[in-house]
Amino acid sequence: MSDQATGKPVITHRPVLAARKPVIGTGVSIEAIPEGHVIHVLAGKGAENLAPFLAEHAPEQALFAVRAVSPGQWFIVGKKPLSNSESTALISTLEPKADCVDQSHGRVRIRVSGSKVEQMLAKGTAVDLAPTAFPLGHATTTLIGHVAAHITRTDAESFEIIVLRGFAESLWDDFETMGREFI
Amino acid sequence: MASLLSCPHCGTRPKEEFTIKGAALTRPASDAPAEAWFAHVYLRENPRGNYEEYWHHTSGCRRWLVVTRDTATHEVDGVRDAAASPNREGAA
Repeated sequence: MSDQATGKPVITHRPVLAARKPVIGTGVSIEAIPEGHVIHVLAGKGAENLAPFLAEHAPEQALFAVRAVSPGQWFIVGKKPLSNSESTALISTLEPKADCVDQSHGRVRIRVSGSKVEQMLAKGTAVDLAPTAFPLGHATTTLIGHVAAHITRTDAESFEIIVLRGFAESLWDDFETMGREFI
Repeated sequence: MASLLSCPHCGTRPKEEFTIKGAALTRPASDAPAEAWFAHVYLRENPRGNYEEYWHHTSGCRRWLVVTRDTATHEVDGVRDAAASPNREGAA
């Protein structure tokens, strides 16, 4: 499809989980987090821990808007899409210390929560999700079933799952199946 | 084959999260004779006991690790980041 006046293609952003209604259960709930922004930050070789620097510059000042990915890598996440100028400003602030890749269109966030959420996730991942091993704000990259996913504890009984866009619907279906006994 | 590995960055994970690359050997110098390179690429000892191997934490932190594994018991003796290893490319 193209714009008739300019002939330029028109790109319409369509949230991949728009058709999925939140699942609110007694033990487990599944909700799509609005597709805002996900910026992948990669520190240069030998760079120090950038987490405090990133927390200071993350556009959303909310707690845990910066997720650790692996040594020297982080995600900056937020519910609000960044405009071109906002994203350029953010990336140029971080660039002296790190490289940034905008993953906003490539990765989707899903919130799973509830009193049985750890038991539900344990059906799919080998990560120890006990609060002692996986405290508030802790994040890790792992597999859920065969799907690569990034898990963060965002609350006592709430986890944020970041997944590649193409796998989001599949993972959502998996969560429904894994959580069926708790919904 | 070990079924659980303790990644120094991610904690204990099942082997399904990893890809194994093979023996962690010291690379010959770039101008070493062809025989040394042939041995490095194709010839392997088959020791009974501890053996160092490269493992990639493909579905985790994506770091290359050096795993010390007992070839007889499959017990894992140690895991370290390959970047901290003296065997890495360009070292020694």
